[in-house]
Amino acid sequence: MVKIDLLVNGKKHSLEVEEDMRLIDLLREKLGLTGVKEGCSEGECGACTVIMDGEVVNSCLVMAFQAHESNIITIEGLDEEGSLHPLQQAFIDAGAVQCGYCTPGMILSAKALLDKNPNPTEEEIREGISGNLCRCTGYNKIVEAINRAKGV
Amino acid sequence: MQVHKGETLDEVVRLLDQYKDRGKLIAGGTDLIIAMRNKKINIDALIDISTIAELQGVRDAGEYISIGAATTFTQLMESPLLEENLDGLKKASRQVGSPQIRNKGTIGGNIANGSPAADSVPPLLCLDSQLILMSTRGERSISLKDYYEKDMKIEEDEIIREIQFKKPKFNQVLTFSKLGLRKALAISRLSIAILLELDGDKVKTIRVASGSLGRYPLREYRVEEFLIGKEIREEVIDEAVLVLKEAMDERLKGRPTLPYKRRAVEWAFKDAIEEGVKRLKGVEAW
Repeated sequence: MVKIDLLVNGKKHSLEVEEDMRLIDLLREKLGLTGVKEGCSEGECGACTVIMDGEVVNSCLVMAFQAHESNIITIEGLDEEGSLHPLQQAFIDAGAVQCGYCTPGMILSAKALLDKNPNPTEEEIREGISGNLCRCTGYNKIVEAINRAKGV
Repeated sequence: MQVHKGETLDEVVRLLDQYKDRGKLIAGGTDLIIAMRNKKINIDALIDISTIAELQGVRDAGEYISIGAATTFTQLMESPLLEENLDGLKKASRQVGSPQIRNKGTIGGNIANGSPAADSVPPLLCLDSQLILMSTRGERSISLKDYYEKDMKIEEDEIIREIQFKKPKFNQVLTFSKLGLRKALAISRLSIAILLELDGDKVKTIRVASGSLGRYPLREYRVEEFLIGKEIREEVIDEAVLVLKEAMDERLKGRPTLPYKRRAVEWAFKDAIEEGVKRLKGVEAW
């Protein structure tokens, strides 16, 4: 076991983790943050996307011990005092959620994009979510949702 | 398994000396973690180098550019030092995986992993890059080309510390073209990087490197020899493509992908060279 300290959704955690544990396992199993989804386990699908020190990463491709002293945001950390984040609301309004499995990762990729570039073009939006696969929507509704949320 | 979160380069080098081939470095982890989970790797220690400041960033070293081995593709894409005539390296970085992969994956990892499809390597080969290696015994440098030709072996206690190359002259451009099967997250089917300098319409300097056209990324010397001193015209480029195809035929003989790659390489090569001519002359090539 190895001891790590990290910030998850603004809260400090000091935990003992297994050496071969991945960040996704830490978040889901130790902290119960099951909004982090496991899809392909090899960095192709983006369902496990979290924001690590301001940048999106696949949490299936980060070892838990590597996250020592990092700042992680998951979908559970997005609500603002009990109300939905504008991106979450826009996904609902635009009908951008179907089965929902890709949605947490998709919204976090959109958030990281808007944090860096508050007024992206459609092409920049598509590039920003290119590491997140959605097999239901055909992406148009998702792009529309991100378009609605920008500047909010 | 032991895990170490390295804080300084000295510490990492000491750990490598201690574990030798039983220890493995992890930076972005985008390939290594998958290999570990598939039980393809059995080691005693994992040494994380992803947050060591000394290993990160693109640095202007006068005549040279130096890139820390743990510099991510996102950092390369955002580096102001890789503008204009080094755009080909930036373009290659931009085409790696996805935003998530580019935020974690590193240039040193791309090299250390030895994939024939490593996107960043053909541009680095065109730049005659050197690898600076470090161990408790000191540092040494080897050319990137020798690294690949010698089976990608570095000593078990060594780390790739940085990649260095001489800045191209202002009238030389570096271009890159990649054919993937889809827009994002595509492993290169093949890629071509070209460094080009013209003297009027004649080719003054040319370096061509390919990815996925052999066991490892390599320089296409025969094409370079064919083109040097020649006037750059469409018919000449068509002949150069034939030279490249001949070289591929020998290397990839019997591979089921050869017929496909023979056709696809034509597009990638022409795209890279046309972009170079366009950028040097400011007008479409032909």
